[in-house]
Amino acid sequence: MAATISSEHFDNLQLLLKAPSKDAVRDVCVQSHRGPSRRLTETTAATLSIPAAQAAQLVESLHVLSHHILFYNLSSPEQILALFPESFHSSLKNLITKILLENSATWRTEAVSDQISLPQLKELDWRVDMVTGSDSVSRMSVPTCLVQLKIEDPSVSGDSVSTVTVELSRESLDTILDGLGRIRDQLSVVAGK
Amino acid sequence: MQLHFTKDVLPDSVSTDFQNLNKFNEQQFLRLVEILFQFLLEPKETERFMEQLSEFAGEHGMSAGPLRNLMKSVLLVPQGALKKNLTAEQIKEDLVALGVNEDKAAHFSQQWGEHYAALSRLAVGQTLMVNQLVDMEWKFGVTVGTSEIQKVGNIFLQLKLVIRKGNSTENVYMELTLPQFYNFLHEMERAKASMECFS
Repeated sequence: MAATISSEHFDNLQLLLKAPSKDAVRDVCVQSHRGPSRRLTETTAATLSIPAAQAAQLVESLHVLSHHILFYNLSSPEQILALFPESFHSSLKNLITKILLENSATWRTEAVSDQISLPQLKELDWRVDMVTGSDSVSRMSVPTCLVQLKIEDPSVSGDSVSTVTVELSRESLDTILDGLGRIRDQLSVVAGK
Repeated sequence: MQLHFTKDVLPDSVSTDFQNLNKFNEQQFLRLVEILFQFLLEPKETERFMEQLSEFAGEHGMSAGPLRNLMKSVLLVPQGALKKNLTAEQIKEDLVALGVNEDKAAHFSQQWGEHYAALSRLAVGQTLMVNQLVDMEWKFGVTVGTSEIQKVGNIFLQLKLVIRKGNSTENVYMELTLPQFYNFLHEMERAKASMECFS
């Protein structure tokens, strides 16, 4: 969730002035997006030669900033630059903005694909059989369709993929296609607007 | 004696039952055959079948028990015939071989010919289905925002499948993206085309 960015966060960002290179700034910006971790704090403290407590605050502030930009979909340099206070170091401000813009498309795609959801369909396979005999009729010829769905539940950790196999008669396949066809028609109406 | 409807040797009591059919007068026999086919067409109505038999027995001064046993034997013919897809002619031959009068056997086989299509549809419908799909419900819409992104506009589709597993049903829920939906539709159309090749 995007929090508002207070002035302390921008004070923390000024710590980046101690970075030895632009790439070092880029690294910590990109990695902070995923959230604070002990390893990130340690490496940041070492690169910038600052105490671990300050490094942790810097990571947290970068995290808040990048998520703010993602949440409000700030996609032009002006929109991002406007967030910084007047007194903020000018070239650092430009550098951070540039880095954030470079990564925002990736972050957006990730956020969309990682969003919470019901179990998702992952894979679909089917097989059509001809039933040629059964205990009730010795000779028959009735087609039947097996459909196997692999469904992944993102809320379950570990092996979250479950497999469901259903058998469809011609009639139920027709019913399914009828339903899916209605969805398609409605979708194309929406798309046509 | 080689019969069409079964390869097993029938117990003597069954043959006697068939010969006893000749003791009914024409009207009684027609009514019995009517009751029998009604039961075959609606096999779940066992109770009604039993009631009709008791009523019939009462009306004609017979005891219900022996009549029920008699009908049990007679049912062997249509049940066996269904499994083996016998023609009306073969049924008639079997009945005559079992000692049933020519005209009674003819009436029975004529009734069989009339109801054969419905009966075999019924039998095919009873064929075992594993994890049969019973129902599908769906909804679709647009994701407007999330905790990470204030404004999104992705189309989603949610499906609920109701699957029969033995005596219970199980609900399976899943979410599809738009490309997955089109793929799903396409695959189902291909499966349908494949099924139609055979019919």
